[in-house]
Amino acid sequence: MKLCSPLGHSVTSTLTGKARPHSLEGLRIGLLDNTKAPVDKMLAHLARRIEERIPGAKPFYVSKSVMSRPASAEAMESLRQNTDVVINALGD
Amino acid sequence: MPNMPKVVLPHPLGGIPLDKVYDKLDVAFDEIVAQLTLPPAKLDAVSPVGAFGGRVEISAVDEWGDLQRELLERGWGDGLPLVPPTEARVQAMVDFCGLPADHVVGVVEPGNGVATVENIASNAVMAGCSPQHMPLLVAAVKALSDPRVFLRNIQATTHPISPMLIVSGPLTQALNINCGSGVFGPGPWANGVLGRALRLVMLNIGGGKPIAIDKATMGHPGKYSYCMAENEAANPWPSLRAERGFGADTSTVTVFGCESPHNINDHESTTAGGLLTTICGAMAQTGQNNVYYPCELLLILSPEHAATIVGDGYSKDDVRQSIYEGARIPMTRFSRENIERRLWRYLAKRYRNRPIDTPVGVVQRAEDVLILVAGGPGKHSMYAPTSGSSHSVTCPIVKADGRPWLPSDFQA
Repeated sequence: MKLCSPLGHSVTSTLTGKARPHSLEGLRIGLLDNTKAPVDKMLAHLARRIEERIPGAKPFYVSKSVMSRPASAEAMESLRQNTDVVINALGD
Repeated sequence: MPNMPKVVLPHPLGGIPLDKVYDKLDVAFDEIVAQLTLPPAKLDAVSPVGAFGGRVEISAVDEWGDLQRELLERGWGDGLPLVPPTEARVQAMVDFCGLPADHVVGVVEPGNGVATVENIASNAVMAGCSPQHMPLLVAAVKALSDPRVFLRNIQATTHPISPMLIVSGPLTQALNINCGSGVFGPGPWANGVLGRALRLVMLNIGGGKPIAIDKATMGHPGKYSYCMAENEAANPWPSLRAERGFGADTSTVTVFGCESPHNINDHESTTAGGLLTTICGAMAQTGQNNVYYPCELLLILSPEHAATIVGDGYSKDDVRQSIYEGARIPMTRFSRENIERRLWRYLAKRYRNRPIDTPVGVVQRAEDVLILVAGGPGKHSMYAPTSGSSHSVTCPIVKADGRPWLPSDFQA
C-alpha cells in the first residue's frame, strides 16, 4: 500500500559557533537565567562551585525578562561582551 | 537544536528544599564542565522531521488492522485510528482546494517543518476530513504559522494549552461545523475532524511529539481536537471576524492557544450587572497564567447570557471593560513566593511594593478580552485562559485568487 507522507520537510541550517575550550580555567562563564524557580538560586550555587573548583574562572550572571521568550538583545550583547562560554539554565 | 550539549537534572527542582537542589547540581557539576569543553560539534538549527512529497510503501493487508499498528509505530498519529492517506484520497483533497500540491502554506514550529498543501492534505485525510475541509485547514495552518501565535511555546510547554480553532462566517453552516448546543462536544458534525487535522499537522509537520517535544505536565482534552464556531445568528454584537475587519461574505478561522474551557454557571441573574459579577468571579482565580503575564482571555457567552447582557444596553466593549475592572483577585490570595517571583517580576510596574490587598487583574488591558457567542439554550457560559505568550491570529478562508470561499462553492 502506497501512502503519502504526512511529514514536513524542514530547512536545516548549520551554525558555526566558536570552538569550545579544552579547559574552563581562567575563562568568563556566562550564567543565563530563564527566571523559573529556582534557577536563580541554582545559578548562584553554580557560580560558587565554579569559583571554588575552576582556577581563575569568573561567573557572569544574566537574566531573561520573560521565561518563554528569547533573551533580549541587551542580554545577548552583554553575554557576547563579557563571557567566553555560556550555561543557559532552563528551569521548569 | 537537537545536538546542543545539555545536562538534565532530574525533577523535581521547584518546591523542594534548596539543599536537595544543590545536591543535584553538585552531582551534575563535572558533566556540565565536560559538556562545555567537548570537541566542537556541528549545531543543527532545526530538526529535520521528514521529506516533502514522500511516498511510503507499507506492506500491510488490512487498513484497520496491521496498517494501523504500522502507522502508530511510525509516530504519525494521536492514538486513535487513522484513515490511511492513500494517493487517491490525498489527491482529492489537493484538487478541491485549487492550489498546487507543493504550494507552501507556512512553517510549523518547533521543528520548522514546511507545511505544503499536500502534507496538510495527508494529515487531513488521516484525521477523517473530506476534501471540502481543505480551504479552512489551509487558512488554519496559515494562522498557526504566524509568529504571534508563538507555536514553539504551545508545542513544548508544560502548561496545558492547545490551539482552539474558532470558525466564523457563512461557511460554518456549509461545512457542518457546530456552533450551537454542545459546541465543544461530540456529534455528527465536522468540529472533531477539523480540530484533529490541525493537531496532526502540529505533530507530523511541526514535530510536536508527545514527551520528546511536548512536555505538558497534564495536557488537556483539546490536544486531541479543539474546534468550535461562533453562533452568529444568536450574537447581538459584531462577530469576531467583523471586529477584525472582514466583510460579510468572508469566513475566517482564528487560532487561539488556550486552556480547556472553564464553566460559568449563572441561572439566577437577570441583569448584565448580575451576570458580569458571576463571570468576573469565575475568572478571578489564582494559579492561571493570565494573572502573571499580559495576555488575552477568551469569554464564550451562551446566547441566553448574551441576550441578558445586551438587554441592559451593554456593548462588547462595555463587557470587556467590566471584566478588566471586575475580574481581580486580592493579592492576599497569592502565596508570598508567587507575589515576589511572579507578580513583582513580570508585572513590576503594576504590583511591586504595592499594598498586600492590591487587586490583581486577569487581563492587563480591556481590549485583551475576546468575546464570542456560541452554544445552545441554557445558562452556562465559558472562559478560557491562555499561556501568556500566545496571541490569537485570524485568517480569511480564501481561494488562490484571494476571493472568499462561499457556501455555494460547497454545494454538490
